[in-house]
Amino acid sequence: MSIYLEISENLQKGKAKIVKELVQKAVDDGLPAAQILNEGLISGMTVIGEKFKNNEVYVPEVLIAARAMNMGVQILKPLLIEDGVQSTGKVCLGTVQGDMHDIGKNLVKMMMEGKGIEVVDLGTDVAPETFVNTAIEQNCQIICCSALLTTTMEVMADVVKCAENAGIRDKVKIMVGGAPVTEDFCNKIGADKYTSDAASAADVAVALCR
Amino acid sequence: MTNRERAMNILHYKDADRLPAVHFGYWGELLVEWAEQGKIPKELAYGNGDGNEKDRILDELIGWDFNWSCTRGANNGLYPRFEEKVLEVLPDGTKRVLNSVGVVERIKPGITSIPSEDDYTLKDREAFETLYRPKMQFTPDRVDFEYFRNFNETRDKERPIGLNLGSVLGNIRDMTSVVGMSYLMYDEDEELFADIVDTYAEMQYQCVKSILETGAKFDFAHYWEDICFKNGPLLSPEIFDELCAKHYKKRNDLCHQYGIDIISLDCDGVTEKLLPTWFENGVNTMFPIEIGVWGDQFEPARKKYGKGMLGVGGMDKTALRKDKAAVDAEIERIKRLASMGGFIPCPDHRLMPGTKFELVQYYAEEIKKIRF
Repeated sequence: MSIYLEISENLQKGKAKIVKELVQKAVDDGLPAAQILNEGLISGMTVIGEKFKNNEVYVPEVLIAARAMNMGVQILKPLLIEDGVQSTGKVCLGTVQGDMHDIGKNLVKMMMEGKGIEVVDLGTDVAPETFVNTAIEQNCQIICCSALLTTTMEVMADVVKCAENAGIRDKVKIMVGGAPVTEDFCNKIGADKYTSDAASAADVAVALCR
Repeated sequence: MTNRERAMNILHYKDADRLPAVHFGYWGELLVEWAEQGKIPKELAYGNGDGNEKDRILDELIGWDFNWSCTRGANNGLYPRFEEKVLEVLPDGTKRVLNSVGVVERIKPGITSIPSEDDYTLKDREAFETLYRPKMQFTPDRVDFEYFRNFNETRDKERPIGLNLGSVLGNIRDMTSVVGMSYLMYDEDEELFADIVDTYAEMQYQCVKSILETGAKFDFAHYWEDICFKNGPLLSPEIFDELCAKHYKKRNDLCHQYGIDIISLDCDGVTEKLLPTWFENGVNTMFPIEIGVWGDQFEPARKKYGKGMLGVGGMDKTALRKDKAAVDAEIERIKRLASMGGFIPCPDHRLMPGTKFELVQYYAEEIKKIRF
């Protein structure tokens, strides 16, 4: 079995310590960091993402796989920078103003990072201006807004308006998600994409960043 | 016919003169909003609890018959609870607080919804043995024996009252956070997690047993879990079954011995995948069947499990923020569900800000006109 496959399989099982050891071994053996990332870590997270979409695995499996991925990425990060490896894209992500729920948002972050996207995590209770200013300052291609509450999801419309007012609407895509959010709501407020789960959000983000 | 008789008859497929107008309480912000609009007296905006005096005054103002989530039980959580402590105040006023179950929460000024979780105490065997196991033991002072000995004489005889059965996994999820529960259960110490579930469940079983042994009679029994979300359960149904099925069975068998045959369970989100564990082990009443926000459904469950599957809930509460036409459409839909018997319509969760007072009154009035 190739070491990439070993990394991928252990990541899918959430075996963080083994993933860390395997990634270190791959680096020590002189394998390219980008290949370890893509064929080992990202490949494993992609499998988890697909299974999550199909309800074959649940939130805990995603969380432990993401933790294993992070362990591996920590080792690779300086090498990727040194090699000038570009991320798949850059996204700023947060739960909208008035809402402190972060499980959904964190799952999206994990899935996006699992696809090689750089994620600027703005946390919870994020004001529309913060989303937009971060997108401008950090050159993000996508703003991702999460909400759990029917009352706070309306703030997503303010994010769209704020992006329009800042003159970046044609440069930045806006994705929305969360329990009460629907495709209809996304269309109504003029956002670009709604996805019903974290793994689909990551797939869509990759497509939008291309 | 009393509302208690109406509800129990419907859930036992017997005749009832009409549907009762049942609810599941309110978000605090909504009551403040209604008070500011002059719809309710200001003193009712704070201190509302399921079935308490303020809740009952509101019932009369609105036209509700009763709140389903009205139960009596023991002190069946951690005992004593952790002392709540502010650990840190951040520059924006956010407080990091150690809460009563040992989780560190971030509480932002002006935000009253669920706070976000920063950290948790129940991470390993040592924390469990030293801090949690002692708080998960049954002691007689958890039960107000005098209250329950007199319960049959003193209770409200017009409305149904449930026996609080506690929670098999939901409370533990609250103690560990979703992240901590996942790490412990799937990776770090599966044996410890099972030990936590078993220890907590045994204490709750003893609480239920002590109450039933007093002779107190209840119309139904009720769990709280909240272990599902938009896309289904928060954990694998197989693991859930392995950890929890035996505890539901033990508690529900006890209820059956004491003549309680309606056992409801409050779980938000899409519950379909956990229904087998619940139903096969004695839980027979879905609540609140969150169709509006999450898309949970009663009808498929009835088709799958037959008339043994009962329901309270399933009314899309978001219609109460819209207009009469939306409420009428929703009433037409739930009327069909109610006509199957064994189902009592109720808003599918607590009414949220933006809900129109007059529409709620209208809904309560219209639902009471429905007869079969």
